Amino acid sequence: MSDPELACTDEHCITCGDVAVEVRVIAADGARELATGHDESGEATEIDTMLVGPVAAGDRLLVHAGTAIARIGEERAP
Amino acid sequence: MRFVDEFRDAELGGALAREILSTVEPGRHYKIMEVCGGHTHSIYKYGVDDLLPANVELVHGPGCPVCVIPMGRVDDGIAIAHEPEVIFTCFGDMMRVPGSRGTLLEAKAQGADIRMVYSPLDAMRIAKSEPDRQVVFFAIGFETTAPSTALTLKRAKAEGLTNFSCICNHVTIVPPLRALLDSPDLRLDAFVGPGHVSTVVGARPFEFIPADYGKPIVVSGFEPVDILQSVVMILRQLTEGRCEVENQYKRVVPYEGNVRALEVMAEVFALRPHFEWRGLGFISQSGLRLSDAYADFDAEQRWPVPGVRVADPKACQCGEVLKGVIKPWECKVFGTACTPERPIGTCMVSSEGACAAYYNYGRFAREREVV
Repeated sequence: MSDPELACTDEHCITCGDVAVEVRVIAADGARELATGHDESGEATEIDTMLVGPVAAGDRLLVHAGTAIARIGEERAP
Repeated sequence: MRFVDEFRDAELGGALAREILSTVEPGRHYKIMEVCGGHTHSIYKYGVDDLLPANVELVHGPGCPVCVIPMGRVDDGIAIAHEPEVIFTCFGDMMRVPGSRGTLLEAKAQGADIRMVYSPLDAMRIAKSEPDRQVVFFAIGFETTAPSTALTLKRAKAEGLTNFSCICNHVTIVPPLRALLDSPDLRLDAFVGPGHVSTVVGARPFEFIPADYGKPIVVSGFEPVDILQSVVMILRQLTEGRCEVENQYKRVVPYEGNVRALEVMAEVFALRPHFEWRGLGFISQSGLRLSDAYADFDAEQRWPVPGVRVADPKACQCGEVLKGVIKPWECKVFGTACTPERPIGTCMVSSEGACAAYYNYGRFAREREVV
């Protein structure tokens, strides 16, 4: 959880601006539909995985406001 | 991050910029609205608009949930935050949004227990660790964020939490787009569609834009190559005389959306008859409240709120900015009375807000336009 004394000073607020981040799952808690993953900066974060179904270590998820909203496919840049 | 790097590749961006140049028809002006604040931020951060020819103009839309929250709702939140038993939680950017009598940050300085969280789940954890206090989450956001609130409330209900509730300000994307398209002073050729909202709702809900208004829309990712590729797809439609919904962001957006997310939203939320948008006024069926099944978690039913409509400050032209009628720097108070440090209008608060993005990244572009 964030430091309650801090206002949001991030360059880009992931929760407010329809912004989602890619997270790679490192551990899954299937029974509670939660997982732990690393985001682009390497920071560990807990994720609600109810919307994307069962996940496993190594899966790549798109996460917004602590919730995985999509799995990331393998499409490459044009 | 192999895929992210690819979508920020300068050579690919340059190739797409050349394709844009070869696609545009000389003498024709193209005005394209990016609906989502995340796109606005990327466009300025990566200088995407610098790669576009002068006759392709990007206009910033109403897609920042912080930007569109009206002052009266901020006042309602602050009223609940001052209740002595309440721990009030919200996303960071919300702390600085001005209500009629100050911000949540100022209310915190006056003694209200207001805490920033990164997710509704964070707020629920506070409720579990502070059973003698009432924890209220100020829920904002489009369909991207609404499922997160809905899932958290489902968990709270399943666990029998009685000290957790939400003040629900979630909004839906289609009604404001329709309101914009019905606006007589709007002149747009096409839309860059919101990528992350579409992971939830899919691309199908945007079919009314080509069908009813004859304008193309391309659902787009947020990296610079994504946005440039979407502009190429839009320009191809316009030059070929096509008009349809296309999905550039297929790596995460299914055309039909996320069915589970839509189901859980239908269970937890119900449409409000109307909801007020900053700068845009009241829009029918554009806001969500908690459904009757979740009424016990509705903070507005637990505590009295002023519920007063507060007019936008006269000097603020957020409405025209949100409709794409004026550029942010054309607002009378942009960069003078209204800055990210002391915002008057909501567009200057969030880094995704059109004015803040322009202020932080676009001032050189503005100088070029002036010249």
